[in-house]
Amino acid sequence: MKTRAQTYTVKLLKRKWLSKKTFEILLNLPPAFAFKPGQRISLSLEGQERDYSIVSAPKESELTLCIRKVTGGELSPLLSVTDIGTSLLLSGPYGYFTYKISHRPAVFVATGTGIAPFCSMARSGISGFTILHGVRSPVDLYYASQLQQSARKYIPCLSDAKKTTGNAFQGKVTEYLEQHLTPGAYDFYLCGRSEMIRDVTRLIDERSPGSLVYTELFY
Amino acid sequence: MKIYTGTGDRGITSLFSGERVPKDNTRVDAYGDIDELNSVLGALTANLSDEEALIEELQQIQSTLLQLSAWLATRPDSALLESLEEIADEQITLLEDAIDRLQKGLPALKGFILPTGHITASWAHVARTVCRRSERKVVPLLNNVPEGKAVAQYRKSLVYLNRLSDYLFVLARHCNHINGFSDKLWKK
Repeated sequence: MKTRAQTYTVKLLKRKWLSKKTFEILLNLPPAFAFKPGQRISLSLEGQERDYSIVSAPKESELTLCIRKVTGGELSPLLSVTDIGTSLLLSGPYGYFTYKISHRPAVFVATGTGIAPFCSMARSGISGFTILHGVRSPVDLYYASQLQQSARKYIPCLSDAKKTTGNAFQGKVTEYLEQHLTPGAYDFYLCGRSEMIRDVTRLIDERSPGSLVYTELFY
Repeated sequence: MKIYTGTGDRGITSLFSGERVPKDNTRVDAYGDIDELNSVLGALTANLSDEEALIEELQQIQSTLLQLSAWLATRPDSALLESLEEIADEQITLLEDAIDRLQKGLPALKGFILPTGHITASWAHVARTVCRRSERKVVPLLNNVPEGKAVAQYRKSLVYLNRLSDYLFVLARHCNHINGFSDKLWKK
């Protein structure tokens, strides 16, 4: 593979909370660091290491990551409180979850912070895709306005029936696809929890033969 | 959190280039055998105790096999071909140099030999036979595929696997030789 990962020291420049449990961090972009939209990096602090997909576009001057604070997690609780200006070790870029030009329509499917690579793609100028973002409640639809600008269709899917908003679909992303996806061949990009990747892939196998499936598992 | 997805539970898997294919697909069959070859090389390496240079050489070969697998797991019309590292002529030359180096220290071959002897030699013979099977599995991938970057790499993969089989044969004899085992000649 042509990816050549390297290790860099970066500084935490800013932290911004997007919802009660999810926050963005901004890091300075090392001059020699190059990545493609959709790729991820590995971040380490105090001996704890974790992979995160990049939210920002390569052209931006800072590197943005979207992180969910996991109770009992190893790195995310640290990153949620560590001082601005702290040095961290970053290695990468990693992965092949990048956008491929195709004659088939692109369907992006994300759960939770799995939206990150699609933000990077949208912020890099990729447009015309259909995107589904599965979250529990509307407060987790952190990048809605950015994605709406680039997407042909942006579909928020809310799994918590008690929390509704505007034109959001009530249910899981899989349920939306079952009910509304027009038969045909697509390029599916799936990023998020294993259950979503399993269920959507099974649906594709049954209903969308000839489609391509690219996956990025968040765990 | 789960690290398994279960997307292959129904006998279908994804190629690196994104296509969903049955697990008995010729392409999956080919890189599956290379995976087996790689694992056998791992077993061989695990049995080499004080042969650091040889272990390093085998680990380099294991890495090349992963590189080769990526080509086999990618359809020739995929945009992802651009992200793959081409197999270099130097990687084949390295094998040829290694064959020549090992061959120099061995007694002349007097006939067909039995694939046996020291445990490391036996693993090398197993690796050789899996390598030959892998080679046979790559051949069908050249059928009905237009000339291009992928086909060029499949052809180079065949050269690499052919040379690797020869290397493993000589390596098996080398492993016997350094461990005090003589070639067991075929007695008709």
